[in-house]
Amino acid sequence: MKVETGLFLILAIFFLPVFIVYGIMTDWDEWVGIIALALAMGLGLMIGFYLYTTSKRVGQRPEDRVDGEIHENAGVIGRFAPWSWWPFVLGLAAAIGFLGIAVGFWITYIGVGLVIIALIGWVYEYSRGDHAH
Amino acid sequence: MVSVGTVVWLSSELMFFAALFAMYFTLRAASPELWANETAKLNVPFALVNTIILVSSSFSCQLGVFRAEDLQPRRLGGLLNFRKWGMVEWFIVTFILGAIFVSVQAYEYTELVHHGVSLSSNPYGSAFYITTGFHGLHVAGGLVAFVLIIGRAFVAKKFGHFEATSAIVVSYYWHFVDVVWIALFAIIYFLK
Repeated sequence: MKVETGLFLILAIFFLPVFIVYGIMTDWDEWVGIIALALAMGLGLMIGFYLYTTSKRVGQRPEDRVDGEIHENAGVIGRFAPWSWWPFVLGLAAAIGFLGIAVGFWITYIGVGLVIIALIGWVYEYSRGDHAH
Repeated sequence: MVSVGTVVWLSSELMFFAALFAMYFTLRAASPELWANETAKLNVPFALVNTIILVSSSFSCQLGVFRAEDLQPRRLGGLLNFRKWGMVEWFIVTFILGAIFVSVQAYEYTELVHHGVSLSSNPYGSAFYITTGFHGLHVAGGLVAFVLIIGRAFVAKKFGHFEATSAIVVSYYWHFVDVVWIALFAIIYFLK
């Protein structure tokens, strides 16, 4: 995962001197930009560091090697829902909730109730019924 | 896969808080006298205690994650035998600490409102409540996530990687919210 790590760390490496130069040019007294640049550095560092530690853990993947073959990546990648109505229900519930803020606040209470139902339905979709394990 | 998505989303959350910091410092640069007056009303030792509570919740959360990685949802020994605790017990402790944090923050808000600092009183009030308030909402959202994860551990007959992964990504979120609070605390209560 060297390439992915590098892509994000290069952002951090770029923003480090930008942050320092900006700080010096504003006498470290203009905090809006200083913090924004420091956190932009953090954005790259966060993902870069995560990918770096993950690559240490999983080692060389087939796509990292020149002689990698497609079949080497066969197997379980993760657990994904083949289809689910719950995100739609959650979106609808959130829309009703925000509609209430614009139209009349009583509608928001209905939206909040539906959000709770949708959230629980989504989180436990693969923990109950036919999928109980 | 879930954890990569979580980290990418958290990095975008970092920029969301960067915008809030930008707002805080823009208003601060515009009215320095107001800041000098209003920050004097803050109760720093009180907030420091609250910060310690939130930071300690991060530790209990991580101990829970270690148990989740061992695929051990429940305790193996007695209730007071911490070493034998499972993920659920550590996450309940984390939930309680997080709930204390939010409650104490709510109490702090009422104190400040009594001192005339409110959301609509002046730019300082707006900056203070919007930054700490958005953080508080994140903590509250994390508490909901902990309840859902604890629920998953109870529902599952066989606690597997599906449950462990969701516990781990919730811990990423919790640590992130914790670090953001340390930054917010340093800026609002120390830098002023």
